[in-house]
Amino acid sequence: MTTRAMSFTMPRSALSVLFLALMLPLLSACGFNTIPTNEERAKAAWSEVLNQYQRRADLIPNLVETVRGYASHEREVLEAVVQARAQATQVQISPELLQDPAAFEAFQQSQSQLTGALSRLLAVVENYPDLKANQNFLALQAQLEGTENRIAVARRDYIEAVRVYNTSLRTFPSLIWAKLWFTDAQPFQNFTVSEDRMEVPQVDFGTDN
Amino acid sequence: MRNLRLPAILLLLLVACLPAFAQSLPALTGRVVDNAGMIDDQAERSLTATLEAFERKSSDQIVVATIPSLSGEAIEPYANRLFRHWQLGQAGENNGVLLLVARDERRMRIEVGYGLEGTLTDLHSRLIIENTMVPAFRAGDFTGGIVRAVDDIVLVLEGQGEELQARAERNRQAEDAIPWFVIVFIAIWAVLFFGSFGFALLAPVFGRKLGPRRYKWLGMEISYNNTSSGGYSSGSSRSSSGWSSGGGGFSGGGGSSGGGGASGSW
Repeated sequence: MTTRAMSFTMPRSALSVLFLALMLPLLSACGFNTIPTNEERAKAAWSEVLNQYQRRADLIPNLVETVRGYASHEREVLEAVVQARAQATQVQISPELLQDPAAFEAFQQSQSQLTGALSRLLAVVENYPDLKANQNFLALQAQLEGTENRIAVARRDYIEAVRVYNTSLRTFPSLIWAKLWFTDAQPFQNFTVSEDRMEVPQVDFGTDN
Repeated sequence: MRNLRLPAILLLLLVACLPAFAQSLPALTGRVVDNAGMIDDQAERSLTATLEAFERKSSDQIVVATIPSLSGEAIEPYANRLFRHWQLGQAGENNGVLLLVARDERRMRIEVGYGLEGTLTDLHSRLIIENTMVPAFRAGDFTGGIVRAVDDIVLVLEGQGEELQARAERNRQAEDAIPWFVIVFIAIWAVLFFGSFGFALLAPVFGRKLGPRRYKWLGMEISYNNTSSGGYSSGSSRSSSGWSSGGGGFSGGGGSSGGGGASGSW
């Protein structure tokens, strides 16, 4: 059955364009959207990692000042934290640089140095009961611990998001789109060292005078 | 008969594997999941009532869980995993709180969803653990420590009255709202897809007859004469996306946590 002599004023081309536009969402069923979706998800997870590291860096000046008030002669440890923070805030990678192994390595290095310096500082603090009882210090310590945990969670989420993204670049249905269309999509770097979390610090430094 | 054996064995293996996966995280059986048996039955009931009333008022989901052992895992990642597995808090708000106690490790943690991090800060969580829970736990009063800790959490969350109201209001509205663009999209689709069929079928009924198998309807002339082939089966059964409204038992609202909160030990 056909409908003949349709006295529509709508031109045929407009109809077909409308039809194509309505068909467009169905393209996602072919896996066309998989790679961009996973890529954006990994980038978002990366932003969260940066966000939490930044949060930690923001806490440090206050922490250092508070500790200095009670333990001013622990200069070495305090200096190390300040320096590591300065270094860590200098290295920033935007989501576009996630494909660069060297830049990623540098970022990871600087952050783990800061983690190390911080845990040494907290180990030193154990020797100062007055400082440990200080309300301001308690608040900072709670925030620092919370931030370290958020960093751990953000890193875990990033690792998972990158795993999914990198897998989608190398496995079958989405692989076709990676070869045909998203030719500039490269796998992202992932964290290699086991999580440098701040557990109860192991006191293995020789500065315990 | 022989051919059936291998699939059957595979299926059995699969079924045997399922509990092993499920075992790693406890099931969300209610607002108080007392797997380590640390809370009195009566206190458990009153806690459940308190938490239910609080959720009705504020839409914040607080869940208390005790587990016998972490089996080697640190409490922070475990609590985060459990929180996300249970999806505490409403989906858009992430306003859940998990109070987790690990009996054998003598550790506890308050895990706070993204949306409540600003209200129930890490410091609040830590103070609740240090000042309320730890002394009671050291004295062996697990029930009292947990009940008072929950009271403290509720107190902190209630501290910002207007924010609480606004959050509850938002979530009531969110439940009613159906995305209008979905409706519009489906409507246009349906018109284009089924319109021509409808047109062809309804023209003989409502149209004006011009001749044998020729009709005029809505200003269009429709002819059924040169029917080429009728083999045009439309097999697009569109399943409506189910908006489940979890009735009956308690379940998480789809919230997530980014690791906010604090832990402690007794």
